[in-house]
Amino acid sequence: MRWMIAGLLFALAVSLAIATAALRADNVCARRVLEQRYRGVWTQMVEFKRLSVQQLESVAPEELARLQWQWLRRETQRRQERLQ
Amino acid sequence: MKPGELLRVRVAFGALGAVPVFLAGWFAYLQVAQAGALERDGREPLPLNAQVADRYVARSEKMPAPRGAILDRNGATLAADCESYEVRARITVPRTKRDDLTLFRPWLERLADSLAIALVADPEMADRSTRYAAHRERLRRLMWRGWKVDELPLDGTWPQGHGRVVDFLVAAGIDRRMVVEALASHHKSKAYPTVFLERLHSFKRVYPERELTYGIVGHTDSYLAVVDGRERFHTYGVCGLESFAALTPNSGAVRRFLADGKHRPYFVAPVQGAPEPVRMHSTVDLELQRVCVRELATQCEQGMRGAPDDKPIWGAMALIEVATGDVVAASAWHGGGLHPKAASFTPYQSQFDPGSIVKPLVVAYALEAGAVSWSDTFDCAPNGQMYRDVIRSLGRRKPVKDDHDCGVLTPHGILINSSNIGAAMVGLQLSREQWKGYMTTYGWGQSLGLQLPHETLGGHPKRSFAPDVRPRSFRANSAISFSFGYEMTTTALQVARAYLRMLRGVEAELHLVRGVDIDGDWHRAPRPQGAGRSFRPAVRSQVLSAMRDVVSNFEGATGRTVVQRFKKQGVDLHGLVGGKTGTAFGSVRLAGGKTVTMRNASFVGLMPADDPQWLAVCVLQKQGGRARFYGSSYAAPPAVRMLLRCQELRGQDWPRREPRVGSGGQTRTGLQTPDTSGWGTSVGADDSRDTR
Repeated sequence: MRWMIAGLLFALAVSLAIATAALRADNVCARRVLEQRYRGVWTQMVEFKRLSVQQLESVAPEELARLQWQWLRRETQRRQERLQ
Repeated sequence: MKPGELLRVRVAFGALGAVPVFLAGWFAYLQVAQAGALERDGREPLPLNAQVADRYVARSEKMPAPRGAILDRNGATLAADCESYEVRARITVPRTKRDDLTLFRPWLERLADSLAIALVADPEMADRSTRYAAHRERLRRLMWRGWKVDELPLDGTWPQGHGRVVDFLVAAGIDRRMVVEALASHHKSKAYPTVFLERLHSFKRVYPERELTYGIVGHTDSYLAVVDGRERFHTYGVCGLESFAALTPNSGAVRRFLADGKHRPYFVAPVQGAPEPVRMHSTVDLELQRVCVRELATQCEQGMRGAPDDKPIWGAMALIEVATGDVVAASAWHGGGLHPKAASFTPYQSQFDPGSIVKPLVVAYALEAGAVSWSDTFDCAPNGQMYRDVIRSLGRRKPVKDDHDCGVLTPHGILINSSNIGAAMVGLQLSREQWKGYMTTYGWGQSLGLQLPHETLGGHPKRSFAPDVRPRSFRANSAISFSFGYEMTTTALQVARAYLRMLRGVEAELHLVRGVDIDGDWHRAPRPQGAGRSFRPAVRSQVLSAMRDVVSNFEGATGRTVVQRFKKQGVDLHGLVGGKTGTAFGSVRLAGGKTVTMRNASFVGLMPADDPQWLAVCVLQKQGGRARFYGSSYAAPPAVRMLLRCQELRGQDWPRREPRVGSGGQTRTGLQTPDTSGWGTSVGADDSRDTR
């Protein structure tokens, strides 16, 4: 009986150790996934900042004028081609 | 208990008891016998203590601090920080390539190609093919140099002692998600298991309206410096507002993380100590800055009338708010296709002979000092008796000439006709001490106090006021030259400050920063209370009335050309814009010994003419060429257009007055008051030494 109790206690200790190790490993995995997601969010923030500045630049009068001229040139070229 | 069982129990418990004894011994061996430091090749010994053990598990990542944003007076962004990544690569040559060197070079080419493709992974990127080729070549060269490929044999195995690892910067300022992800896919990938890419947080400086803000906002640069014992890139503001200390980051944030068994970091704490970016509010108005840059560039690009290729060397224009001294706009233009970063910012760095634009300042000073009165008359005829008695009798080598012959003029007439002879006669009423006072009153040769680096000061030569120069010689040369803006150099912003002092007070200064917002707390930029002793209202209004009539259609008015030009466009400038034109030239000896003639066209504009709220200064300088490079023809139009646009955008609806019928500048009643202002005494009063 004593030996059985001792064996059970040993088995309990081993399973506790295994469970703890598994939990810790799971934690590490979860943290790793979270870290990846965190980095992904950060990268999107970087992208967002870039796009916001890009939008500011794209509505500057110079840029709009450039687009307008580009459009006019294309239109002129298209009409000339049609005439020919 | 049987004897056998007792023995087994004793052995088992003895073994169990031996375990802590062994652990204690091992602990003592590690902590005592092995305590101290671990020797490492080529590196400092590693101390074996708890801190080092913790450091190896719990690490922290330092994140750079943002420089801060620069805003215009309406809150529009002039410069800001955008997060970006700096990607470094640490690559080890794989074993298969080391064993067979014929595989190494193609592998290196493939890797450079693959990283270059990753760097242009975003399809929205402009000029992808050009950038790809440039990245590919750069990365190939970096790796080639890192592994010293030239010293490697073409085949065989990797030589013993030849470095296997390279560490280099793949790219900085990466702010596109697709590029980041494409690069991340290389990190310890199946195709490249020995490639280790490290992403470091960084900031990229962005300027949404870059073409408009090169000089005044400035730019940054980075250099490698040893900071805290490590080599780091240190970023600093080279010029303009970027150079201000408020924008220099002190320290960044810290993000703590733990490393797992494979040294892969995972975070345990949010970012700590992240400083809020500073927001510096400048006095610049982006919309007016746009007008300023565009008008100056348009004027300069046009070149001389009838000779479009004859363009100025440089141009400068600035707009000041009179009530506050705020620099609302300032722009520079350079010929020769120089990159704006490589060129000087002309409004405070390029000097010129101011010429006739100082005449209102000289007259105002002389009136304030009581040296002349508004009703005094001067015979400005080149062969007149007064010229012979007052100027020629001094023995000046160079005669004083006017563009067009003038007759008897009051100070009002002198300003309207921009008579050099008249200005010289006014200037000769001032003593040497008063001329010194004139220089300090208007701040000629003194720093603007804007804390801008590389500011040039100009001023007069030291000899002008040297004690050994005889008073008669001073009067014959310096006093006369100062009167119409020669024998001194200045910058456009110094001219603006001088006029500001005439309008507001002798301690008025220009301002470029309104305040700084640090962590939500507003810190107003220090400004002195008041503007110091001001000119008498009568003097101010007399000079302003003359400047109003300079920009009129009166016979002989130097601003007539610009008035007529705007009249054709349906704008009557008289009474709306006041000003003073300037045209100067001088010989400059170049480094090669060659002497060239430099011509300046300048204009100071005030709006509204009677009670100015805005002050504009425009200067263009050209080398040689035709003499007809007049301030009214070349410098006045862009300044006037800017003032009119300023009125449209920011001005109030000032009552439009009918042009006042002036006298043509010949007669004006002036006010004469006794000198109680402490402006010194005039030549006529008691300084008889100067008349010798």
